[in-house]
Amino acid sequence: MKIFIVEDEKEIRKELTLLLDKYGYACASSDDFRNITARILEARPDLVLLDINLPYQDGYEVCRELRKESDVPVIVLTSRDTDFDELLSLNIGADDYVAKPYNPTILLLRISALLKRTAKANRGQTYRNLQVNVARGSLSLEDRELILTKNEMIIFLLLLDRQGQIVTRDELMTALWDNEEFVNDNALTVNISRLRAKLADFGYQDAIVTRKKQGYVLK
Amino acid sequence: MKLRDYLRDRIFVYLMLLLSVGLLQLFLRAFRVPAKLTAVVAVIFALYTATTEIWNYMRRKNFYNDLKEKLEGLDRKYLISEMLGTPSFYEGKLLCEVLQESNRSMCENIAGYRKSASDFREFIEMWVHEVKLPVSSLSLMAHNHKNEFADKVLEQTRRIDGYTDTVLYYARSENAEKDYLIKEVSLRRAVSNAAVKNREDLLLHHVELGTENLDVTVMTDGKWLEFILGQLFSNSMKYTAKDRQAGITVSAQDFSDRTILRFRDNGIGIPESDLPYIFEKSFTGKNGRSQARSTGMGLYIVKNLCSRLGHVIEARSQRGEYTEFTITFAKNDFYRFD
Repeated sequence: MKIFIVEDEKEIRKELTLLLDKYGYACASSDDFRNITARILEARPDLVLLDINLPYQDGYEVCRELRKESDVPVIVLTSRDTDFDELLSLNIGADDYVAKPYNPTILLLRISALLKRTAKANRGQTYRNLQVNVARGSLSLEDRELILTKNEMIIFLLLLDRQGQIVTRDELMTALWDNEEFVNDNALTVNISRLRAKLADFGYQDAIVTRKKQGYVLK
Repeated sequence: MKLRDYLRDRIFVYLMLLLSVGLLQLFLRAFRVPAKLTAVVAVIFALYTATTEIWNYMRRKNFYNDLKEKLEGLDRKYLISEMLGTPSFYEGKLLCEVLQESNRSMCENIAGYRKSASDFREFIEMWVHEVKLPVSSLSLMAHNHKNEFADKVLEQTRRIDGYTDTVLYYARSENAEKDYLIKEVSLRRAVSNAAVKNREDLLLHHVELGTENLDVTVMTDGKWLEFILGQLFSNSMKYTAKDRQAGITVSAQDFSDRTILRFRDNGIGIPESDLPYIFEKSFTGKNGRSQARSTGMGLYIVKNLCSRLGHVIEARSQRGEYTEFTITFAKNDFYRFD
């Protein structure tokens, strides 16, 4: 997955690249803000992170030009954080809007949510032989079905999304809170062990591995 | 304008008239003018004085009574010069000119202040947006290079971000311009956005956060509401009770004509004597002085923002038991533009 970063602050661009790189996205960016729309189109990214305050032309204009040529998902990143800016961003065709200074974890969640939403081939979610029924909130294997609570589902989906990679407790926590589940540290631990038990029920004993001081990995 | 006051004001003129009429009478008597004739002269004098005085009095009375009446009826008294008709007598005209001139000069003066206030606000807005850039850089850096030190940096950047938001919303709340956007906002979304922003601090203070019936929408500005909720969160965290599990419950009640949002914590509460003043500028109260560094600005800004949006915010508290803020959102078809 390739993400194009449109941001004129060098430091932020560098750190954003570092952050996204770490989570397995390829990043591209450009210094040439005169022809930034052309540069974006050339790079053929899967998603664009767009700042609003830019030299030569502002982000709204870039977005409008981009929309004439392409349907690439756009997330507007800006320090202008009024409702009006949000409405304007969505009106000119941006898909999401995140205000600066953003919580990096939230930004990552938004990126992966948007990519999933726009993924052309929406493959049915599966984990090994398990069918994941997000709408019903359950896991099923042939005729057997186990219901997951909302919390467990949020955790499982995030782990599944990044299968094989470490997901930190902070990320899990942010994802839960972002979904209006205001749990504390202990509750998270309890939810994880319940999820483990349910997976073990299907015969996947060691599906979730704890990495000390780092987080969890779904094998 | 009362007749008695007018007469008292003119007393010197009358005394002089009396004196001159008296002198005239003596003079006429000395020349042996018949008494009938002198009486006629006196009557003519009296008639002349009475008519001119009544005429004079009526002109002034009409003008000044009208002036006073309009002044009392006016909400903004300085607009009086715009309301005056031109009077028919000289002093009245003079007064009108003076009023208009001074009004004009005051308008210019106020325009100057207004300009400088709005320049200042623009600068603050711009400054806040600028300062958010390094704050963003810092928080990204800290996130990218996770360690104990980075966590501390993250905590401090969150504080900086909170303080800059306070400045921004203070500037916005003091400004007369309409820079909010009323639209349908989901209370659940607003509360959880505010909660996510304060997540680390809420967990640090071991606050249990509960919500009830938040699946309603209200007409408000989402960003402003999130800031208001953020202030309430940070207040609750400042004044938790040490002897029990800290908890915050946010709930909503939907009525046909209004929606009420309740924000209740089980903290140390507010002393009854302080309660009427908590929304006042720079009021710190007993809690603020004894517990946390309080600037007395948070709730003042909150109140200001609420009244600009047309919401009513109230506080109830029981010392040592709880504090509850309620925000009442009116349901008004006037707001809907679809």
